[in-house]
Amino acid sequence: MKNPSESKKHKVLIANRGEIAIRIMQACRKLGLAFVALFTEPDKHSEHCVLARKLGGDESLFRVSSYLDANEIFAVADQAGATAIHPGYGFFAEDYRFARRVAQRERKLIFIGPSWQVIRELGDKINTKRLARKLGVPTVPGSDKPVTDDLEAENIAKSLFEFQKELGVGNPVILVKASAGGGGMGIEEVPDLDKFRSVLRRIKSYSKRQFRDEGVLIEQRIFDFNHLEVQILSDRTGQNPVHFGTRNCSVQSPGHQKRIEVAPGFDPSSLRYAFDAKKVIEDITEYSLRMAREAGYDSVGTWEWIVSPTGQPFLMEVNTRIQVENGVSARIAAIKGKGDVDLIAEQIRVGLGAPMGYTQKDITLNGVGIEYRIIAEDTDNKFAPWVGRITSFGWPEQDWLKMHSQVPTDREYEIPTDFDPNLALAIIWGKDLAQAKERGVEFLNSLTLQGVNASGEAMKSNVEFLKRKTEGILAF
Amino acid sequence: MIDVKELLRELREEPYEKISIRAPHSGKVEFVAKEPGVRVVGPSGTWKEVPGTLLARLERENVKKPLHAPQKGEVMSLGEIANGQFAQAGQELMTIRHYLTREEVISRILRRSLSLFLAPEKGKYYFFPDVDIKIKTKGSQSVHIEDGMELFILSRMKREASIRYSGPSGIIYAVYFDTNDSVERNSPLIGVCPEDQLGQIQEVVSRVQSDWEERD
Amino acid sequence: MDIEKRIQELRDRLKYILDIFGPDENTNVIMLEAKLGEYVAREPGLPKQEAIRQLETLEELFRFLEKKLERELTPMNKVRIVRHPQRICLKDILENVYDNYTEIGGQDDYSIDPSMLIARAYITRRQGKKVHNQAVMVIGQEKGHGQEFRNGGSVKPWGNAKALHYMKVAETENIPIHTYIFTPGSYPIEDYPGAAQQIAKNLYEMGGLKVPIVAVISEGGSGGAEAIGLADTRIMMSHGYYSVISPEGAAAIEGRLRGGQRAEPRLIEHCAKQLKMTADDNRAMGFVDWKINEPELGARPEHYDFFRKLRKSVISSTDEIVLNVRGMRLFRSLALRRHKGADVYVRWSLDSRAKERLLWARYMKFRRMAQDAYLDKRHWFSRSSEWTGEFFSSLYSYFRYDLFGKQHKKVAELAEDMHAEIQVVVGRSSRYCKNVMSKLFFGKDKKDVDQAGLTSLSAWDEGGQNSGKWQYVSPQAKADRAVICPNTSVHGCLDQWAPDLFGEWAGVCSFCGHHFPMEYQWYLHNIFDPGSIYEVFTEIESTNPLKFEGFDLKLDEAKRKTGHKCGCMTFEARIEGTSVMVAMFMGAFRGGSVGAAEGEKFIRAMERARKKQLPFLSYVHGTAGIRIQEGVNGVIQMPRCTMAVRRYTEAGGLYLVLYDTNSYAGPVASFLGCSPYQFSVRSANIGFAGPGVIKETTGMDIPPNYHNAYQALSRGHIQGIWDRREVRGNLFQSLQTMGGRNLYYR
Repeated sequence: MKNPSESKKHKVLIANRGEIAIRIMQACRKLGLAFVALFTEPDKHSEHCVLARKLGGDESLFRVSSYLDANEIFAVADQAGATAIHPGYGFFAEDYRFARRVAQRERKLIFIGPSWQVIRELGDKINTKRLARKLGVPTVPGSDKPVTDDLEAENIAKSLFEFQKELGVGNPVILVKASAGGGGMGIEEVPDLDKFRSVLRRIKSYSKRQFRDEGVLIEQRIFDFNHLEVQILSDRTGQNPVHFGTRNCSVQSPGHQKRIEVAPGFDPSSLRYAFDAKKVIEDITEYSLRMAREAGYDSVGTWEWIVSPTGQPFLMEVNTRIQVENGVSARIAAIKGKGDVDLIAEQIRVGLGAPMGYTQKDITLNGVGIEYRIIAEDTDNKFAPWVGRITSFGWPEQDWLKMHSQVPTDREYEIPTDFDPNLALAIIWGKDLAQAKERGVEFLNSLTLQGVNASGEAMKSNVEFLKRKTEGILAF
Repeated sequence: MIDVKELLRELREEPYEKISIRAPHSGKVEFVAKEPGVRVVGPSGTWKEVPGTLLARLERENVKKPLHAPQKGEVMSLGEIANGQFAQAGQELMTIRHYLTREEVISRILRRSLSLFLAPEKGKYYFFPDVDIKIKTKGSQSVHIEDGMELFILSRMKREASIRYSGPSGIIYAVYFDTNDSVERNSPLIGVCPEDQLGQIQEVVSRVQSDWEERD
Repeated sequence: MDIEKRIQELRDRLKYILDIFGPDENTNVIMLEAKLGEYVAREPGLPKQEAIRQLETLEELFRFLEKKLERELTPMNKVRIVRHPQRICLKDILENVYDNYTEIGGQDDYSIDPSMLIARAYITRRQGKKVHNQAVMVIGQEKGHGQEFRNGGSVKPWGNAKALHYMKVAETENIPIHTYIFTPGSYPIEDYPGAAQQIAKNLYEMGGLKVPIVAVISEGGSGGAEAIGLADTRIMMSHGYYSVISPEGAAAIEGRLRGGQRAEPRLIEHCAKQLKMTADDNRAMGFVDWKINEPELGARPEHYDFFRKLRKSVISSTDEIVLNVRGMRLFRSLALRRHKGADVYVRWSLDSRAKERLLWARYMKFRRMAQDAYLDKRHWFSRSSEWTGEFFSSLYSYFRYDLFGKQHKKVAELAEDMHAEIQVVVGRSSRYCKNVMSKLFFGKDKKDVDQAGLTSLSAWDEGGQNSGKWQYVSPQAKADRAVICPNTSVHGCLDQWAPDLFGEWAGVCSFCGHHFPMEYQWYLHNIFDPGSIYEVFTEIESTNPLKFEGFDLKLDEAKRKTGHKCGCMTFEARIEGTSVMVAMFMGAFRGGSVGAAEGEKFIRAMERARKKQLPFLSYVHGTAGIRIQEGVNGVIQMPRCTMAVRRYTEAGGLYLVLYDTNSYAGPVASFLGCSPYQFSVRSANIGFAGPGVIKETTGMDIPPNYHNAYQALSRGHIQGIWDRREVRGNLFQSLQTMGGRNLYYR
């Protein structure tokens, strides 16, 4: 692999925190690149600060007022002489305006992620759905444009009910969404046509108030689905995307937050499915690549799919960023026979302009990977976040285990309250599903995680929940 | 019983507050108040619409943000950053020595005299909606609270929990937090005064009004 | 004793003269002062006869020099005369000009606004043995010889509302109105009904009052004067002033003073001259019909001759108005003209046809004013061809929309009614039919399931959605810099990148919705259909009618900078296909101030819209008020334009106003404020006087947001606040739903 630092000395600003900041730092080191990291006051004890100082010295770490203030990032980038910005996930990762500013400001930088045009195109759900339909990629049945006319909306709703009846869905339900909405706001389920009108009116007025837009989307509600995703990578040419297989992210909290991710997405070798699982995986991979090529996709990205109990895949959305769970796909992959793939390093490498250097043929997938998200939360009480101090944290090292965490193991740690309460990611590898599950349970049993909160109560975490869910992994 | 005299004596010994002026965000500093001893004033005007003395400008992304003095006082010392240097967010730029005003003396003494309800956890706090409305329309002192009453909503990590008040019943005499700021654990949220002690408290207030002389 | 009294009288006269000439170094005044002083010192030692003789000489000297001084009066001296507490006031006039009166709604300070006085008065006229008591509604500002509670004749908004109320009463009772203008200007507060908005209402209503109105001007201070000044005959007292702004105010603006700084007396004096505010000036420019001469150094309560003269003037003016619009105008009006002042009895009530003529005459009177105060450089031929063009387009729209349109509409309405009737009859049975049908052809139902439509690409015209892509991008969006939102401390807004903020976000803070000002071009290109703008009346150009010193340069500078010939751009354009006539006031041209050229363009645009049956939009990008350097040529645009609005609206049009940035003073107090549909972009500040002026005149501290659009909405001044990004949609909606019947698309 060609090292980009050979052609030009780059310095990457890491516009993120926590474990992803750590992974980016490590990837930069691996590539021989300089970096500069950020932190905010509540994060000053985070492991990512410790590591940044350790790897890059004091001058590689800047305190900022907020991770969400783009001006802070640019001010530091200019001051530190950074040439590129890695947004991580969350924050600015999928903000095309940020990416555009990176590329269009007077002192231009490289945005390590897709070009802003791609982010804008695929960040818009309607656009994505229309692109998919144009290319014959299956999407959730329903409208693919904002509907403003009541009569038209009602016709679509009617057709959707009849369509589902035809498919043999017992209790068909449709979804009415504010087309400008997102994040679960402005969505309602409609179980029958009689209730449709009042729901429509409600969503429309909500949308008008919130987004100054009356358009709604009307879609089929699909139940009991599995959540799969396809990991894509492409260099700046945008013409030769490759995939790193699929992941299954069906184990989630009630708030639809992922808790366990498994690669590959299905395991037909050891489990029985009601449909041709191998074909589903092949199909969604091929569809995702088709769209990536059409959109000129030029970075890492994830195509998210839902698969119905009858094995029908529907494209949900495209995440134009590196995802939390990228490591689990990397874990089972090898490039030209060489394992220990680092997708973040790959993202930085191609992001800075290096050509891919390999094709799909060179990528092999081997074994099963499981990623656990270890979180301080009360799984018996609506997964409410637990706040307090971690007193001990540790695990026995294993060659099949990789841990990513910003929580220090050598001292106590107050969990910052301003961010998502993710503590650590544990990635386990097994040669097959059975071994991976076995090792997963072994890991969870050997994990030390203790803490105490202000009222002196013991720490609550989701470790037991993860253990419980391990048994049913990949079964559908 | 509150020993106002003693408290006032204590305050007279150290009648200043040290205000630290920090960079609200990153940027190049351009000092306007360049040396210690410069006198500054806080915001003025009927609606506090006239900002205080310009202390420095902080340039970031081709825009200069003016930093104004929050209170009247005197520049005590400048921070360890030279004019034209890049300051990181939160870095101290200078300190201002501020002579306590009557209101501040009153609030300090009240903090010691009122029954304080402390934040049980770190997070953002809000009053319950009905209390909030009452405070906004009639002022906090119109609200009577009792032990066990649901009083606050605690918001942290995008989730909300209700917090019950515990302590003596009385009226909310003072509110010590802003709804948008994150409150540290154990910092006071409200000061409560039992109705029968209201007279005493008011006496404290009038005592300070007459005894404390304001200075520059 | 007698001598003492006479000396005191001379002392008073000297005091008055000193007040009037004030700081001026006048040798005559110095002489009077010296002579009087000498006499007073000498008098106790003089024998009585000698004392009286010398006193008489001194009195003679006073008379002589007063006459001399009268001829030397400068405009500023006249300003001091009308402001002097000894100046006659409305109460004096009621006592001495009318034969009987009853004050309405006030007894000294017991009044909703003691500075506005209303009275029902009588004029008794004898015709042979017959006695006629002719009723008049007298309305005017009362300065009350310096009584504090009269507020110097500075009327509060509700005082002007009271005035309007009784004008309407007079209309109902069919009696003439006499207004007396004694005001330095309106009291600039925004409390309901609002200084500006109420004056606008007054002007709008006075334009249509169907009774004769005579106005007498003593102190005509800008907007306050206009509130009761729109009259059929306007008489001006010889020592009065009628001006767009007080000389002090003009000096403050000319001298670029801020925050209560006082202007130099020299500059004030200079401005007073430049503003051409005296009776002679106004008479010469045609803003008043005639001047009534006052005694030397101005009328004071003891000048009974003057009251008699005034009485004759108002009576004959009223007579003349009435006779001019009566059918039988020949004999008596001729007689009146021939024997000026002959007391020929004229009944003052009007019949309905006379009322129509009265309104038309009033409209035309104002329409003809200030015609020399702007430039129209076109050849006479093109002017007349414009006229014929308009004539034909008006003819066209009559045939197209009125004659055929109405027929067509009637048929359509009939068809609609028929259809609805049929629905009722058929509706009941059709459900049954449908059931039967679906049972008969039941195979068909399945094809309703449009599987392809639910899973394949549908057709979608994205044209309607802009999603942040605007036709015009502000030059502010070209700078690589962050922008600080003024609400940061309240809403915690982060700094935004100028290209995002002024590009995609159209200058709207994405955190708090604060609207940063945008150029008028943004609106031109993003509100109206692309390429649909057709400018009209481009040849009308601002000029410097008063030859105000230094103004030519400033005007040229504005013309060069903006590429426009005046601050008002008039054009036709389309919004989603619907044509609309637009008058746009540009803040970039002399602060968007309105003078004769702007007013003329506005009126012509109104007339054009009426003829072509177009809806009308006033888009106020910004206006600081009336252009002071044009003096009354500017102020007079208030009644002129308002009357044009009235004529247009009465004909069934739709008059919309949209405020954008800062809109203040005269224009708001007239042709903008009179619209029933005034909307505002969130960025707007709307009001009568800016905070500095309010502080100056009222002594009140004004909160920083005193004039913002939300305050204006709360006070009932405007009808809605729009987000900039929704202006196009909201305008289209307004065009569809508001306004009268005389619109081409109705």
